[in-house]
Amino acid sequence: MQQHKLLLAALAVSLFFMHSTVSLATDSNSVKQQSWGNLPIQIGLSGLFSAGGSSADNDELSGLQAGGHDPNRNGFTVQNVELSLSSTVDNYFDAQANLIFLIDTEGETVVELEEAFLTTRGLSSGLQIKAGQFFTEFGRQNKQHPHTWAFVDQPVILSRLFGGDGLRSQGARLAWLMPVGWYSELYLGAQNANGETVTSFLFAPGEEVAGHTLQERSANKGSELLYNARWLNGLDLSETVSMNIGFSGLIGPNSSGADTDTVIYGADIYLKWQPLRSQRGFPFVAWHTEFLKRDYDAGDVTDPSHETLKDSGGFTQVLWGFKPGWIAGLRYDFARANGNTATDPQRDNRTRISPNVTWYLSEYSKLRLQYNYDKTEHLADNTNHSLWLQYEFNIGSHAAHTF
Amino acid sequence: MKTFVIACLWCVTLLTVPQSQAALQIVTTTEDLAAIAKAVGGDHIKVHSLTPGSRDPHFAQAKPSMIRKVYGADLLLLIGADMEIGWLPPLLRSGRNSQVLPGNPGYLDLSTTVTLLGKPTGPVTRDMGDVHTQGNPHYWLDPKNGLLMAQAITERLVALDPDHSNAYQRNLASFQQRLTDKMKEWQATLTPLKGDKVIAYHTSLIYLATAFGFQIVDEVEPKPGIAPTAAHLNRLIKRIEDDQIKLLIMESYYEQRSAKFLQDKTGIRIGVIPQSVGAMPGIGDYIQLFDTIATTLKQAGTF
Repeated sequence: MQQHKLLLAALAVSLFFMHSTVSLATDSNSVKQQSWGNLPIQIGLSGLFSAGGSSADNDELSGLQAGGHDPNRNGFTVQNVELSLSSTVDNYFDAQANLIFLIDTEGETVVELEEAFLTTRGLSSGLQIKAGQFFTEFGRQNKQHPHTWAFVDQPVILSRLFGGDGLRSQGARLAWLMPVGWYSELYLGAQNANGETVTSFLFAPGEEVAGHTLQERSANKGSELLYNARWLNGLDLSETVSMNIGFSGLIGPNSSGADTDTVIYGADIYLKWQPLRSQRGFPFVAWHTEFLKRDYDAGDVTDPSHETLKDSGGFTQVLWGFKPGWIAGLRYDFARANGNTATDPQRDNRTRISPNVTWYLSEYSKLRLQYNYDKTEHLADNTNHSLWLQYEFNIGSHAAHTF
Repeated sequence: MKTFVIACLWCVTLLTVPQSQAALQIVTTTEDLAAIAKAVGGDHIKVHSLTPGSRDPHFAQAKPSMIRKVYGADLLLLIGADMEIGWLPPLLRSGRNSQVLPGNPGYLDLSTTVTLLGKPTGPVTRDMGDVHTQGNPHYWLDPKNGLLMAQAITERLVALDPDHSNAYQRNLASFQQRLTDKMKEWQATLTPLKGDKVIAYHTSLIYLATAFGFQIVDEVEPKPGIAPTAAHLNRLIKRIEDDQIKLLIMESYYEQRSAKFLQDKTGIRIGVIPQSVGAMPGIGDYIQLFDTIATTLKQAGTF
């Protein structure tokens, strides 16, 4: 009964917002484009919010919706307000910074330097260097900012292996556009391994991973960095079908012991069909799938509690843009781990099925309604239902249409 | 195993050996630019259009295969006026080819070579829909602009590849001659349209209207890029009847339900035109584009 009430309430809220946001979109998007068009700096502000509810209570939701930008409580969530600045620095570099603002479950406003980096403009031999603070080149989803996600929340396996905020850190990476007949790019990167945005590595001392308390571990040796490789290929299979296929790997120290490492590897594929005749990019069908595995050395070999934690999972999602502005989506998420994991919200057997519908009112605003059917082991009620309505605005510079 | 490795290495070598560097590599954002470049560049250039003429170039995506093309380009031709704003900047950032970045000899924005129409005069807000602040970017639909574009492309080809300067100039002269002759023919075909009030689907046909002397008085879209609403279509029905508007012109990539609805209610005739080279089978160059537009409008207007 409780569940039904919640779902009804969420539906009522969604209908309310369907109306009010439509009028908001036409009244308040009064950005003077003139002033952006020729400015040497591109400035954009994107606001992403959600309203909804779940059969799980707010405490339980923090385990179910573990992503830092996921809707994570019954009621309203400010998922992500992102200020993005980018420009050409000079003849040698382009630069970009993304600052994010959000309001956490305690009601505190949080500001984060999500990314700030330089990229080179014209190195020879197909090389490009990026340096600063940035999302690690791993898979397709990790680098995407919340306002470009196809679902209201991030895949379960990414929250587990990369933490709530996605895997990002300070460092540098080299990208090489390989001299072959198709698009093939090799990324090699090194980033700092400590902090709360690299949870599988030198995460905050005192935190626990599968019962192993993390310790202070000095990351002052050159070897104590996070090393990353990614090989991405892009092919046009026909005039209407394009594909990306990538393989990624990561290795770095973790703080469950003095000499313990974590290895994560994964594969991702993205296929998109769009007929030769299409209006505003519609119709289309896009299929995106990723698999990830983690081997986490927990505790030093000399430690009696030493074990290797093995986690794996993935997601597969299909988007169907059935008419201009309208997209229907379906995602299947799964994650599992070895050992006795039934009570651990970050390692239990988990599956989630998420159908959604997104309506882009214009290129600058959208509404999205998503239902999550969640199966967990760690909650007393193994099955949970959630319904979220998401709404977004973009003002300032034109957003990029990336593949 | 050994033969496999050798075979692999051989494949990689084959793929990496640069294909005949003699021809200038030209990448264009649309097929119209590619067609004009081909007409003046002839065999001395290799042209590749990043988007097909059957899709709206504003809504393309920066696909990885495009990165490869931009990386290998000697010259990039673009429509400009924010037409490619969504996808060309990220593509140029990934393309790591400083030769084709803005301000360099390999970057040619053709919107700077023509006079843009429809430049908003008052303050612009996004409440007005997809308004291009620098002016309407569909300028290739006036064949007179085609002459200017061909001229500008030729000048750039000559600067980048002076060895073939004579050939480029010759091709330009012949292209301009053919186009000028054809323009007279199209003008003659479309004379009955002169002064007529016409409805378009999107604000994309003002150059075509200017070229052939008809007036676009309204659009099927209530605001540029905003899907037609029932209220707007009803208002259009009244307008079509009041002003006795006979013809609705639209590009082939738009939905045709709204236009058919207006036709059912008012009997207005619909001309579905190719807006670009490659938009329909059989349109392989810039002259064929206007041949087809003229024939289509003639049939739709039944004159």
